[in-house]
Amino acid sequence: MKPLGKKSITLRLTLLFTVVSALVLTTLGLAVGALVERHFEEMDTELLVGKFELVGHALWEHSQSALSDRLDAALVGHHGLAVAIWDASGKPIYSHGSVDFPSIMKVPGTDLRTHPKLWRNEDGQLFRGISGTVTGGAIVAVSTELQVHEHFMHSFNKTFWGLVALAAIASGLFGWLAARGGLSPLREICRDTAGITADHLDRRLTAEDFPIELAEVARTLNEMLGRLEASFRRLSEFSSDLAHELRTPVSNLLTQTQVTLSKTRTAEEYREVLVSNSEEFERLSRTIADMLFLAKAENDLVVPELGPLNLREETDDLLEFYEALADERGVTLSIKGEASVAGDRLMLRRAIGNLLSNAFRHTPRSGVIAVLLTNVDGMATISISNTGQTISPEHLPRLFDRFYRADPSRQRDSEGAGLGLAITRSILRAHGGNATVRSEDGLTTFELRLPSIQQ
Amino acid sequence: MKILVVEDEPKTGDYLHKGLSEAGFVVDLARDGFDGLHLALTEAYDLAILDVMLPGIDGWQVLQGIRKAGKEIPVLFLTARDSVDDRVKGLELGADDYLVKPFAFAELLARVRTLLRRGTKAREDDVLRIADLELDLRRRRVTRGGRKIDLTSKEFSLLELLLRRRGEVLPRSLIASQVWDMNFDSDTNIIEVAIRRLRSKVDDGFELKLIRTARGMGYVLEDGE
Repeated sequence: MKPLGKKSITLRLTLLFTVVSALVLTTLGLAVGALVERHFEEMDTELLVGKFELVGHALWEHSQSALSDRLDAALVGHHGLAVAIWDASGKPIYSHGSVDFPSIMKVPGTDLRTHPKLWRNEDGQLFRGISGTVTGGAIVAVSTELQVHEHFMHSFNKTFWGLVALAAIASGLFGWLAARGGLSPLREICRDTAGITADHLDRRLTAEDFPIELAEVARTLNEMLGRLEASFRRLSEFSSDLAHELRTPVSNLLTQTQVTLSKTRTAEEYREVLVSNSEEFERLSRTIADMLFLAKAENDLVVPELGPLNLREETDDLLEFYEALADERGVTLSIKGEASVAGDRLMLRRAIGNLLSNAFRHTPRSGVIAVLLTNVDGMATISISNTGQTISPEHLPRLFDRFYRADPSRQRDSEGAGLGLAITRSILRAHGGNATVRSEDGLTTFELRLPSIQQ
Repeated sequence: MKILVVEDEPKTGDYLHKGLSEAGFVVDLARDGFDGLHLALTEAYDLAILDVMLPGIDGWQVLQGIRKAGKEIPVLFLTARDSVDDRVKGLELGADDYLVKPFAFAELLARVRTLLRRGTKAREDDVLRIADLELDLRRRRVTRGGRKIDLTSKEFSLLELLLRRRGEVLPRSLIASQVWDMNFDSDTNIIEVAIRRLRSKVDDGFELKLIRTARGMGYVLEDGE
């Protein structure tokens, strides 16, 4: 089927129209031809049988001498009609018209009255004839010459098949026109989509302008364009975010290094600069690693290695890790509840850890960070609440966006590049879950939900 | 201890050579896969550090060549690409560890020492000592100058790690991973806080400070200069 798939639809439709109409017309032509032929045959047979009976009658009524005249008189004016009579021994008694009857018709006792015979003589003339044995043993043969019929059929066929050919060509032409006309909306779609480039990804096809069959195609194309536009926008935002986020630290490094090099310093001063650079570089490489993780997650390349996981145990371990920090800051940690999921241990630890780090960043001295685990209706929930400033509602939906900082004045503080929450969300999504946040009355709660398993 | 480094990036190669030499190792540096494999097969090394992307034959092929020749030296891979496939491939081919560029040099050094230690069966001492500090593993007791120091269980593990790897600069990420089993970057100063608290218990009131900060790199436990 492959070569067919490559041919143009117009050509295929044109061929189809031509072939189908030629087939239909040929069948019709053959049927009409056969009907006409049969009609002629019936007429001939009727004539031949009539003459046969006439001859039989004459044979019975008249003596041999009177017979010739009687028959000649009866047969005059019948153009192309021939009659021959033989006696029982095969001797010719009478003959009208010089026709050489086939020998099978002369056999005594033969009866071909109801089965007319067709034959050609040496000149190629076509005859139809019947023969039979009449009372008294004589054999009578009657024939008619078919030149007129043949002539008619010939010109009939010529005209008819000419018409058939013309009609087939005409319907092919109509087919071509119809296909071209029918496909013109496709060409329009082509033209319209050809105009959509990376610079104009916001353009759409107007589905209403197309016939019903193609409106669906236009809508599907539009949906695809929508998805493309979204990924394209994400990608370019991603690049510009990355460039922007890397510019500040690189600029700091460059300035600091060049200022240091501008005059001779003590070993201790050089040391200071190198240490500070090293810290900055480490932060940069962390940012790059995190960006790569997010880029992979957006392309569904982050595949969690799922295993049964007791979230309570994992969170307990995490809280133990953060314990010293909590002590130091006078922050109270608490945990309640149980939940079990199928998840990637490293990834989920990171997801929860990021939320805890975030909570520590925003909890004031002697504040509270509370973790609550629940397991309801097949969904495990980890909610991490911290006391502190209420985040205004306009920031909430964007908190999980990479590099988003609710408070612009906190740009690039010493901790965090603003990717932690984005990573948490992408990890949860890779687990078929989601991450949400709400904040009211001095309490901010992040909630992670993912499918649970029964422990 | 002799280490083979196969790295084509000139600066990286030079600094690995310099850093590892200064850390007390004998280092041979090869700039491409052919030289690397040749050296690995003709010289005796305790460890090989291979870059994955190399001119000539790549790191995987060098590793295969080494293993085919029946050499069981530990191999650490360096790569700029962090993909699970690469990691799996490396481990399947018999790599012992895997580090993604850019990495902290202290991290590399720590991993190299871990790999080198793996072969030699460490003496299982019940008591670890440095200067006048004693850590009794069996009784989980710590004393300094004969005086008992009360530590939480994590502080004990942290001190044990520092003691076992005395003289080595341990990066924060390694400490978080070894003591708390946390393998992500917490974006907080947790390790700093934990070290500060441990230091106040171990070093406060003593002339000789044992826990030192290697600025920009990590922490190290050592006595003397």
